[in-house]
Amino acid sequence: MSFKTKLFLLFSLLVFSKVSFAQTSDDPDIEYIIESIASNQTQDYDYSELIDRLTYYKRNKINLNKTSKEQLQELVFLNPLQIDALLNHIAVNGKLINVLELQSIKGFDLETIKNLLRFADINTPSGFENFSFNKLFKDGRNDLLVRYSRYLEQQQGFSPAKSTSTSRYLGTPERVFTRYRFAYSNNIEFSLNLEKDPGEKYLNGNYGPDFSSASLYIKDLGKVKKLVIGDYSLQFGQGLTLWSGLSFGKGADIFTVAKQDIGLKNYTSINEFSFFRGVATQINFGKFDFTPFVSYNKIDAGLALNPLTNLEEISSLQQSGLHRTSSELKNRRRISQLVFGGNLQYNYKKLSIGLTGYHSNYSQDFAPGNSVYNQFDFTGNSLNNVGINYSYTLNNTYFFGEFAHSLNSGIAYINGLISSLSPTVSAVLFNRNYQKDYYSFYNQGIGESSTAVNEKGFYAGLQIKPDRQFELDFYSDLFKFPYLKFGVDAPSQGYDIFSQFSFTPNKTTRLTLRYQFQNKQQNDTQPTYTNVLAFAKKSNYRADLLYQVNKSFSLRNRIEIVQYHEENKANRYGFLAYQDVIYSPLSSRWSGNTRLALFDTDGFDTRIYAYENDVLYGFSIPGFQNRGVRYYLNARYNVKRGVDLWMKYSLTKFNDQQTVGSGLDQIQGDLRSELKLQLRLQF
Amino acid sequence: MGKFYLLLFFVFIFISARAQDNNGPRITALGNAGVALQDVWSVKSNQAGIAGLKRAFLAAGYENKFGVKGLSNQSAVFSIPVKDYALGASFNSYGVSDYNEIKTGLTLARSFGPKLFLAIGLNYHQLKITDYGSAKAVSVDVGVQYQAFPNLWLASHISNPNQSKYDNNTDQIIPAHIQFGANYIFSDQLLITTEVEKILDAQADFKAGLEYKLVKFVALRGGISVNPFKQYAGFGVNYQRINIDFAVSSHPVLGYSPQVALGYEF
Repeated sequence: MSFKTKLFLLFSLLVFSKVSFAQTSDDPDIEYIIESIASNQTQDYDYSELIDRLTYYKRNKINLNKTSKEQLQELVFLNPLQIDALLNHIAVNGKLINVLELQSIKGFDLETIKNLLRFADINTPSGFENFSFNKLFKDGRNDLLVRYSRYLEQQQGFSPAKSTSTSRYLGTPERVFTRYRFAYSNNIEFSLNLEKDPGEKYLNGNYGPDFSSASLYIKDLGKVKKLVIGDYSLQFGQGLTLWSGLSFGKGADIFTVAKQDIGLKNYTSINEFSFFRGVATQINFGKFDFTPFVSYNKIDAGLALNPLTNLEEISSLQQSGLHRTSSELKNRRRISQLVFGGNLQYNYKKLSIGLTGYHSNYSQDFAPGNSVYNQFDFTGNSLNNVGINYSYTLNNTYFFGEFAHSLNSGIAYINGLISSLSPTVSAVLFNRNYQKDYYSFYNQGIGESSTAVNEKGFYAGLQIKPDRQFELDFYSDLFKFPYLKFGVDAPSQGYDIFSQFSFTPNKTTRLTLRYQFQNKQQNDTQPTYTNVLAFAKKSNYRADLLYQVNKSFSLRNRIEIVQYHEENKANRYGFLAYQDVIYSPLSSRWSGNTRLALFDTDGFDTRIYAYENDVLYGFSIPGFQNRGVRYYLNARYNVKRGVDLWMKYSLTKFNDQQTVGSGLDQIQGDLRSELKLQLRLQF
Repeated sequence: MGKFYLLLFFVFIFISARAQDNNGPRITALGNAGVALQDVWSVKSNQAGIAGLKRAFLAAGYENKFGVKGLSNQSAVFSIPVKDYALGASFNSYGVSDYNEIKTGLTLARSFGPKLFLAIGLNYHQLKITDYGSAKAVSVDVGVQYQAFPNLWLASHISNPNQSKYDNNTDQIIPAHIQFGANYIFSDQLLITTEVEKILDAQADFKAGLEYKLVKFVALRGGISVNPFKQYAGFGVNYQRINIDFAVSSHPVLGYSPQVALGYEF
């Protein structure tokens, strides 16, 4: 399809878009927050935990007069300077009496205040002030949600096996997710998640559903600030020593590179990896907070026999959480993991210092790496980690950092600052150095790689917000990998430049232009006798326009172009354009949205990611590659108070393809469609 | 040994077609995005800038290139206002003992009211390589700066538009380039400056820099340029009439180049 045809199609869509379609779905405010922080949307990370968290606070608003730094940090869109300014304002001037007071706080622009008030208020009831078990069941709220989804076409893995040795999925093709929450005020929360993925069996032996996760979370009970029994996550400092669950990389919101640790939290995500199972608590002693924890869990791993010792060793940890074939089932919960330790945090005014130490122990040894690039990987079966982190606000500058050490091996550190240079200009700088033999199983330090290992770099970001209408975000990041990596057979380096301009002339219209350029070294794809490095350059151009047509309808257009260049090779291009229609009337039981997207890319290296609306708590950022059309329709119907139904139908049609997907996921034909149904009961 | 440096030098020349000039530590620390700034070092980045100076200035600087011993830039600049005009002079010597490039410049700038500055510069280039001989050339610069809004300066600068060369026996070029830029003054404390530069026969470059005055007499600076990707940082201290500026630039392959300059305001 030529570029002109695409433009024409896009134009016709603009003209005719009001005609076909249906209704709204999830929350545009939350969507905007996620789009601005999701790390350039290049990783398929599940942000459903964040949607969960924000939706929770939308219903159970934070009381700003009784809040803490940690709680405000959970609202990822506030930057550390704003949090300090708010807490300082309350400390100096006393409790907030009117929300209008927020406008007088330094660093709070109207958009931030508008965002904040969606999740917080100044006099919501909180605490166990007049708690009784009667009240618990009378005022407690239940939330039950069931989601069913499946591909409508048959995948290879579900077809009859040609012989007994052919691998097939042992379960059924649908994905079923059940979610239950009980919440009392902001203080008691019980969560239960049950899930089976496509291809998995409903019951694995006698163990129940493929993935089940539950936790009881109690907050602000005297000295006990938090207590979790069951599954939990821990986030301390800048994520070098200990950070599990939700985390952000480099993104359009430049402030999120300074991680805001929220310590202990109940684990409510359905990622089947990287959480703790056991007991943890946070106890407050004045300026000190102590968080001890212990966790015992079985995790997925591939094992291989070591011919020298004749013992089984861990060859890989499996993070996908998929247990569909007999070989995947064999690795399910195959090894056991024991983790215990603690964190001591000292908070005094604008200074906080934290010490973290923990021990992790595995039932088998990790096998030594058998390639040159992974020979510094962790071996053995036990590891001790220690770390110290700090943050301090001095006038208009917030300093942050962490130093981490895995005992008997390497170190990692990061130091940075966020400074508001003038009322309209803020800058972020940080420097990082992570050694190749620094080990932590819960390491999500910021960098070009997803874990803080074998990397050095310097990041500089700038945000200019001259008024409510304009915003310019910019960053550059230089990174070096002192040791080899997978697919990079020498020490390498690269850099990343990002700029985004957004124009919001009124409350209902927003134009965003984005440019990103990345240049990094990798093995040259030209065959030679020995691998040499070559630079691969990738440019992304994006234009996005969102505008409201009337009180019920909004439209959104996006065009994104990717250019990928490898040395000695022709340029490759990717193109994506879509039209969204969003229907969200004030008074109707129906709401929904629909999208038609065209994509035309020269393969994997030029794939383009785009956030997609989904059923509530659902989350998808699909990557588009090859040529085709994607369509989805997402609708919500409010049956009656407390009963909601969601439906999503999506379809991807590829041009000139005989099959879609690969391996056992392969579908015959050029079409893949999916149906999702969801029911929520609140009582 | 000299031959070795000579070789290194040509490597540097190859990688950065403009390495032989130096804009002084303040403009360097701002990512060399100096086209829209008013500074005594403007005599090297955009001569029009000296028309905005109320007093006479003299400054001299030294830059070591990439940590290579002996490979340096030595420069001096001077400017003096005379009614609506300003006169400027610059001197730059680059190289090692066996290879030397000298550029000497004279500038005449004029302000047409407080918002518009124009300037023309004349440069004399000398190139000397031991055992190979020497060559000479003359080039011209033209610059303009315009204050579009009270806190926004726009500027443009063209170097060597007639593409003058040393002579036919010398491959070494005098780059012809054009620069556009803007300088936005957010407050007394903060300015951000940007510049797009196109060198003939080389790729275009985008540069940006930021200067933040921590207190009235101490300024912190940082900048980047994207092609090649370089990072810059520096600071300046102003004590009564004396300025001391320091900058370091970081090239991803060649490493760090520190420089320092001392200035005096008459």
